[in-house]
Amino acid sequence: MEGPAEKLKADYSTPLEISGLTVSLKTKAWKCAIVEDVSLRVRSGEILGLVGESGSGKTVTCLAALGLLGPAWQTEGEIRLARTRITDAASASQLVSVRGREAAMIFQDASASLNPIEKVGKQLTKTVARLRGVSTGEAREIALDLLRRVEMPDPEERFHSYPFQLSGGQNQRVMIAVALAGRPELLFADEPTTALDVTVQSQILDLIKSLRDETKMGVVFVTHDLGVVKEVCDSVAVLYAGRIVESGSVERIMNAPRHPYTLGLIESMPTLSGHVPEGIEGQVPAPDKRPQGCAFAPRCDKAQERCRTQLPLGARSDGGDSVACFFPLEGNLGRTERPELSSHSRPADGPSTDALLSLKDAACDYDTRRGKFRAVSGITLSLNEGDRLAVIGESGSGKSTIGKLMLGIEPTSEGTATFMGNPVPILGTSDHIAFARSVQLVPQNPFLSLDPRATIGSQIEEPLEIHGIGTRQERRARRCELLESAGLSLDLATRYPHEISGGQCQRAVIARALALRPKVLICDEATASLDVSVQARIIELLRELHRMHDLSIVFITHDLRLARSLCSHVAVMRSGQLVELGETSPMFEAPEHPYTSQLLASMPDVEVADSRTMETMQ
Amino acid sequence: MTGFVFRKLLRTLFTLFLVVTFVFFVLRLTGDPVSAMMPDDTDPAILDELRKQWGLDRPLGVQYLEYWFNLLQGDFGNAYRDGRPAIEIVAERVPATLKLTLTAFAFIVIAGFPLGIFAAVNRGTAIDRGIMTISVTGFSLPNFFLGILLIFLLSVTLRWLPAYGSDHWYNLIMPVITLGTAGAAVIARFVRSSMLEVLNAPYIRACRARGMTERAIIWTVALPNAAIPTITIMGFMVGTLIGGSIVTETVFAWPGIGRLLIDAVTARELAVVQTVVMITAASMVFANLAVDLLYLVIDPRRRYASGTGE
Ligand SMILES: Nc1ncnc2c1ncn2[C@@H]1O[C@H](COP(=O)(O)OP(=O)(O)O)[C@@H](O)[C@H]1O
Ligand code: SF4
Ligand SMILES: [Mg+2]
Repeated sequence: MEGPAEKLKADYSTPLEISGLTVSLKTKAWKCAIVEDVSLRVRSGEILGLVGESGSGKTVTCLAALGLLGPAWQTEGEIRLARTRITDAASASQLVSVRGREAAMIFQDASASLNPIEKVGKQLTKTVARLRGVSTGEAREIALDLLRRVEMPDPEERFHSYPFQLSGGQNQRVMIAVALAGRPELLFADEPTTALDVTVQSQILDLIKSLRDETKMGVVFVTHDLGVVKEVCDSVAVLYAGRIVESGSVERIMNAPRHPYTLGLIESMPTLSGHVPEGIEGQVPAPDKRPQGCAFAPRCDKAQERCRTQLPLGARSDGGDSVACFFPLEGNLGRTERPELSSHSRPADGPSTDALLSLKDAACDYDTRRGKFRAVSGITLSLNEGDRLAVIGESGSGKSTIGKLMLGIEPTSEGTATFMGNPVPILGTSDHIAFARSVQLVPQNPFLSLDPRATIGSQIEEPLEIHGIGTRQERRARRCELLESAGLSLDLATRYPHEISGGQCQRAVIARALALRPKVLICDEATASLDVSVQARIIELLRELHRMHDLSIVFITHDLRLARSLCSHVAVMRSGQLVELGETSPMFEAPEHPYTSQLLASMPDVEVADSRTMETMQ
Repeated sequence: MTGFVFRKLLRTLFTLFLVVTFVFFVLRLTGDPVSAMMPDDTDPAILDELRKQWGLDRPLGVQYLEYWFNLLQGDFGNAYRDGRPAIEIVAERVPATLKLTLTAFAFIVIAGFPLGIFAAVNRGTAIDRGIMTISVTGFSLPNFFLGILLIFLLSVTLRWLPAYGSDHWYNLIMPVITLGTAGAAVIARFVRSSMLEVLNAPYIRACRARGMTERAIIWTVALPNAAIPTITIMGFMVGTLIGGSIVTETVFAWPGIGRLLIDAVTARELAVVQTVVMITAASMVFANLAVDLLYLVIDPRRRYASGTGE
């Protein structure tokens, strides 16, 4: 018998080898497999993308490889780092000697992953001293050097900062420096850029690539964004419901996916060149409700009888191509073009006579402890009937503030906000009640905007009741109509929010917003908390609603790809200023403002459109 | 930084002013020292004479102004009976109370923190449940009852410790346990929940991921973070200790200001009562001030948020 965590003959060319890994959550009464039969191999200098939607087991796989799961977890199968085998029986001291030295990990929320009350330089210095066994003085020098290597601006100064004084991107740089402290052969990067703005994300991705080139470390890069995968990864393993369903080189997977789920994921990604995302129907099953047979069968349109009873042979990510499907797809990805939505071309900033909703020289101040803070200023734009206006920009650029001005949640401090020729009434005034029938909000988090103790049906009906519209029967009928137009089945009406999925909740919110037949829907990052396959279906729904009901939409987003797939016009915000405004396709093909070009160039995209590369090179 | 401290100090002084005023009027409206001192059947004329002599016949407002006038010159008034300055009477008793409360405070920290940490680290086990049960019991036992229980057990039954006295270190044992147990129980519970919260934070997982040992994580990362919110509770604790010392000193005949206060209230020694109240109130508000300042020292986030950073 081999001992736990025994030291192996060092194999630096393959810093990670996992085979047949099953990870289960265990209590006295039951046991539930979260990750099943996963096999992976990462070579030195290779970046392996671990892709899948939330809950597919990406994080659990990484944590298991470092022995970081708590006592409630059980792992079976083999995990082998460069020099060490990791097992459940490995002692704490053995694991401690591996972590940071053979393999390190960085996390999604870097700002929360650093000790909040210690200066970053000190944290880094301590880690260097411990992992390299050098004196504090030497460690300090190395730490500063590491900060320079992760391209931290003003490293000497930042050395003495606390995490809360740094931005998310800077904290992620610190985390990467900390991870490099022990010169690991392998880096687990668990969605390291998901919480960052696109321009920062693209810098961090470049950094990870160049560090890989420099140190030849292997990287497991966890992400749900296939655009990011295309940007940084050499090979890909697609995880669905705890199993690897397909693996191969990044080119092969992106150009000729063989598993229907992989294809669905790729099709779900909006692109800068205007691919309209198609989602996947249904949702990822919870770990304790995974069907027998192929877990994707309930959502797969190629499923046959066999798929529901038998399990296709698992895919292994070991360098070659592999797919876990009885009926794999053949051939290259063919894109079916979908109809562009109508868009009467017009300049979005011109004084337009039939403007539905418009802002003129609008500014908005917030009261803060340090006096007034001007969130946006000099905003002039208008939304005509049938327009779909995207408001894009990075976090803090003032996107949501524009939404609030349009909704009358905040008053304009300067300039005007008008709706159909009249000033937008402020929330809380009697005029606002009538106004709110015409302009409705769809917020980011559907769970927060639904009452957890009321059924979906009654919440959809609620606006009608408040405004005293229709008789009881008429309201019931309208409720069914609304559920249907939001793509929800009628029996969901009697359920409570926690009993349905995030995507269904967002549909319910949209249905409720539509109850009063509004003219304008303002969606503030309405799909940001959803999985890509679900997001795609919500986008589809919004396109449909626009077509059927001639709804005008203001779509606030940080994702330029979504703006492209849904909107006729785009407003680009930067630090409270409107830097560019215009029709979507011309702007994406030839942006006028350098900031717009920068945003476009930073956006990871599953299709690297040649035209765009040309643009940015010129 | 100085501006912040100055504002805090002003507010502290204002609180003190309110306390002094409140005590002054309540004491005088609830009974007078002359009838408390003389036998019930004393001739009313004599009582009136005494009142006149001590200045108690003048309007309350005048007495109040005079009190402040003297106070600002450092005169806390004299005891009626022996005519000694009240400040002197109180000052002799302060060391005994300080000894008791400071030892009890140390007891609270030394017992409360490790128990809380230990329970958190062993969350959900028998150790955790045991510590929490003890803590609930400790918290719900009234002070005087615990004191009497200890005397009964350790002095009367086992004869290990004398029930009274204050000359030896071992005389402190029972009063300190009596006074500190509830506080230690509160701190243990608070430290436990604070530790549990911190141990679930992403930065703890990140520490594990870079190979820090569990022991190093608990003592050098988790504890400093978990200790920050306990400072507020420690501030409250000072008030609880002072309140509790009145009962404890009475039970153990401890010669501190707590017992002095009880005696002085019974005898209507107004100047003494007021001086004791003022000193205790002052120590409570200054403890609060110390808590605020301590926050600034150990929590960098507050330091920068209050605009007092480097
Ligand atoms: N501590 C935990 N307790 C219970 N279930 C968990 C825990 N952590 C993860 N899970 C479950 O394990 C599954 C996989 O989670 P995770 O690896 O975090 O997915 P991903 O990283 O792909 O989003 C999810 O269904 C999640 O609910
Ligand atoms: S095995 Fe069957 S159900 Fe599963 S992905 Fe392949 S075709 Fe679809
Ligand atoms: Mg995850």
